[in-house]
Amino acid sequence: MSRSQQRRSIPTGGSRRRFLKQLGASGVLLGPGSGLLAACATGGGDDDDDDRQTGEVTEQNPFGMPEDGEIEIWIFDGGFTDRYAVELHQPILKQRWPNVQIDHHAAVDIGAELQARFVAGDPPDFVNNSGDGQMDTAQLVADGQLHDLSALFDAPSWDDPSVKVRDTLVPGTIELGTFDGTPYVLNYAFTVFGLWYNKTLFDEHGWTPPRTWDEMLALCAEIQSAGIAPWTYQGVTAPRYMNWPLLTMAAKQAGPQILVPIDNLEEGAWKQDAILQSAEAIYRLAENGYFMEGTEGMEFRDAQAAWARGEAAIIPSGSWLENEEADAIAEDPTFEMAYMLEPLLTEDAVMPYETLRATPGEPYFIPADAKNPAGGMEYMRAMLSKEGARGFTEMVSSLTSVLGAADDVELDAPGLNSAKQAFSAAGENVINWFYPTWYPTMENPGIDQATGKLLKADINPEQWAEECEAVTRQIREDDSIPKQTRS
Amino acid sequence: MTRTISEEPAGSQSAAAEPAERPARRQTAPAREPGVGAGAAAIEVLNGGFLLIWGLITTLPLVWAIVSAFKTNGEFRTDPMGLPSGLAWDNFARAWSRANIGQYFLNSVIVVAISLTLTMLLSAMAAYVLARYDFPGNRLVYWGFVSGLAFPVFLALVPLFFVVRNFEGLPLVGQFLGLNSYISLALVYVAFSMPFTVFFLTAFFRTLPTAVAEAGIIDGCSHVSLFFRIMLPMAKPGLISLALLNFLGHWNQYILPVVIMSDDDKKVLAQGLASLTAQTGFRADWTALFAGLVIALLPVLIVYIVFQKKVQAGLTAGLLK
Amino acid sequence: MRHGKYPFILAFLLPGVLIYGVFMVSPYIQAIALSFTDWSGYAKTQTFIGVDNYRRLLDDPQLLTAFRNNVILLVVVPLVTVVLGLFLASMLNVGGRRRGSAVAGVRGSAIYRVVYFFPQVLSVAIVAVVFKYVFSPSNAGGILNSVLEAIGLDSLARPWLGEPRALIWIIVIVMIWSFAGFYVVLFSAAMQAIPRDIYEAALLDGSSRFTTFRKITLPLVWDTVQVGWVYLAIQAMDGFALVHIIFGINGGPEGQGDVLGVAVYRAAFQQTDYGYAAAIGVLLLALTMVLALVSMRALRRERVELA
Repeated sequence: MSRSQQRRSIPTGGSRRRFLKQLGASGVLLGPGSGLLAACATGGGDDDDDDRQTGEVTEQNPFGMPEDGEIEIWIFDGGFTDRYAVELHQPILKQRWPNVQIDHHAAVDIGAELQARFVAGDPPDFVNNSGDGQMDTAQLVADGQLHDLSALFDAPSWDDPSVKVRDTLVPGTIELGTFDGTPYVLNYAFTVFGLWYNKTLFDEHGWTPPRTWDEMLALCAEIQSAGIAPWTYQGVTAPRYMNWPLLTMAAKQAGPQILVPIDNLEEGAWKQDAILQSAEAIYRLAENGYFMEGTEGMEFRDAQAAWARGEAAIIPSGSWLENEEADAIAEDPTFEMAYMLEPLLTEDAVMPYETLRATPGEPYFIPADAKNPAGGMEYMRAMLSKEGARGFTEMVSSLTSVLGAADDVELDAPGLNSAKQAFSAAGENVINWFYPTWYPTMENPGIDQATGKLLKADINPEQWAEECEAVTRQIREDDSIPKQTRS
Repeated sequence: MTRTISEEPAGSQSAAAEPAERPARRQTAPAREPGVGAGAAAIEVLNGGFLLIWGLITTLPLVWAIVSAFKTNGEFRTDPMGLPSGLAWDNFARAWSRANIGQYFLNSVIVVAISLTLTMLLSAMAAYVLARYDFPGNRLVYWGFVSGLAFPVFLALVPLFFVVRNFEGLPLVGQFLGLNSYISLALVYVAFSMPFTVFFLTAFFRTLPTAVAEAGIIDGCSHVSLFFRIMLPMAKPGLISLALLNFLGHWNQYILPVVIMSDDDKKVLAQGLASLTAQTGFRADWTALFAGLVIALLPVLIVYIVFQKKVQAGLTAGLLK
Repeated sequence: MRHGKYPFILAFLLPGVLIYGVFMVSPYIQAIALSFTDWSGYAKTQTFIGVDNYRRLLDDPQLLTAFRNNVILLVVVPLVTVVLGLFLASMLNVGGRRRGSAVAGVRGSAIYRVVYFFPQVLSVAIVAVVFKYVFSPSNAGGILNSVLEAIGLDSLARPWLGEPRALIWIIVIVMIWSFAGFYVVLFSAAMQAIPRDIYEAALLDGSSRFTTFRKITLPLVWDTVQVGWVYLAIQAMDGFALVHIIFGINGGPEGQGDVLGVAVYRAAFQQTDYGYAAAIGVLLLALTMVLALVSMRALRRERVELA
């Protein structure tokens, strides 16, 4: 159904607003600034309760969604495409609620399509905020544009009314989408981070994943003497990918608490011993020339393709790598990739070797001014059903934040399978950090650029830590950035 | 009446006289100044070589894009510079269906037909008046147009959304304007192309000989017929090259339609193609993108080659009239 | 002549000015008005904060880098593009001398006319991909480095895209490459408008091709060159699309490929600080307009001397 038809079919709140709209239009023609400013002033009118669609709250219908209402859904049309929404999640919802209409949209540039509608107080009911045009979540929260999801997490789950939604999720999922104590964002896909190696090459030469950094350096020397580059990373596009093993190894060495001061923007956070020690370890790779030649001048996709061709043995990434490079991987039928844990910096590390970083990702939210927020939440509840989550994993080769949903799924992806096993083996020892979500510009360009220089050996670990401190200071002192803390 | 008419006989005379003139000069020149002849020949070769090299530099990327449209994604990812092993026609099928090219192509044609006509007509009228008439405020209007070139377009997007949306509330015009309307989008294109077009056309109209205009006035032409019957035909080469550039700009425009056309059945071609480039951290279907571009490119190339012929034809017609 | 002049002027100007005013100027004025507010880009309200955003311009070191790069583009790109455009256009239109007609393009000019325009028909996205492959390392298909290595100049090969100091020069090259086609068309159109008999006369005088160019072609197309130059300067002040798509939103390694247009974009969409973005936009507008006015004046004087 088209937007304009829909807009006409929705009651617009009588003559008052039409009058204001006309005022707005004449303002555009007459006076500077008055168009947007008038529209902004009246924009709040659009979330008047008279617009909001409601239905009766029942056990079946915990949010009181109108059973014959319409839900406007926007899905980012990227790596996952929107097929999972159309062919999987929407049928699940329609099966239970046959009279609900779904107004489905797919978009490449979510921000460009929706920004103005947020300002106008006329946003859709459900948004998959992802991709290049991703909107700044923290800013949307600060501007009061997002709907509180507490009701969703406290509602009975789709499959079993005796279990709440929050108890079906991987621990940490809700926290990641929480700002100032209120959950606003559902992170649905689940990513395991770490190192990925060319198992075919390793098997051929009899190499095994190293347990400690000393073993890693010894292995690198061996790989190099076989005429293969030991490492590569995401080149000029994203040196920050190397920052992930750096922080993970530091946390393994000194415990997860070492990450808290970083997230809290504390002074000296980047100069903690374990952080410096880990930076030193990474720096050693650069000094010894263990990165593939030309990596620093490559696009991330080219570096990853070189790795898939066997020109480099190890690369850092999240578990999306296999899906992202599927085309390059398919070119060589003998190629097999596998997940490798970050080695321990020393044997006396505080956390076990099995520790890994894993985090929910791929954000979904409901706008505060949505006309049918209950419908949006019901859609989320359907997504979080066992069937929805399991199907998602099967369809797009990505785990979800629904507990155990993928346990019995036979994955046709050896890389993801090995990561799934590592994740099970990690048990409680799963770490994550929050500053990239809270302060996107701190991670990129901030830490990204500092790490880029470290990887070229342009600066040493101490200078790197100084630069990271400077980036942190800048964020800390910028009053226009809303701050978050954790313990 | 026009200068071109009186020029033409002179031109053909000299052309006719040439065969007699030319061989003589060709024979004598090298004999008289051999050094200059060799030098000139060397320059000739250098020039020719440069033209050829520049031609290669401008052609190869296009060839590369077309060749890439026939590769599989695997081939493209592992060997971007290599040749395809076969012809992966399904790239075109994917591009066609995923970018919804059938419908969007038509939408683009409708919008660009309206916007291009209006842009050229209104810009030419405005530029002509600005170039050739003195009136208070002339410079103000001129620089008002030029300043539109100097501000980042994307800052205007949110306000533009409101401007267009607010038209929906107006009586009568509201049903034709507003969001998701071909006419709205076309008018936005016109507005955003006017600075560029007026800027260049003003310069073009200024260079046209005054004598012709004066002759027209003496003949009793009104201002309007002087413009349409004499000045516009004389400015034809300039008009055509600017129309061409505007055609490209409107045809490839991506960011303005994103704000105005959100209905799936109203989107334009560039929006469809963008869905093939979505790539952050994910798989991009590059070869389908190249295939889509080849499809989108064909009308552009055809239009260009036709326009190019028209420039030539326009000139010849002007000379012979 | 005076009779009916003003109604005519009004009738010709008004439709264009109206559409321009409503759909372009009014959004721009609203954007400029927002530069005096703290509007984030998503909020439904905004607070007036006076010139705070403008004050912040002064202590933003990244803006200085962006500005420096715009100046480099501004100096180099118009000069090279105009010279190249004039050379190519004159070769295509009046450069040939072999065949019957005295005034024609060189052999093959019909083909060159088409191929020189190719960069114009490629979308920015494709241009960016192509040049990423030109400048990437040779093991990632990099053309430039492969050529350098093939002719034994290995020592000159660099990871160009990772070389902060090379970044803006990559943009210079890509800009010239993609702009030249338009100026060939533009200057061709101007040259086509030159009466043919003037050339005939020059040929009869036995003038060399260069003299003909300097004495006849250049003065007669000078008006077009002048506007072309100014427009190039304006394009160079922008540079947003190319930099954004080749180096990304942060202007490449260490932000050394940054330009002001990208800084505006970053402030608006990455830092969600629309008010500040609009302030940079106004700065950009002011700089560009001053530049356009000054260069119009300067080039006009030149023209008087030549004529």
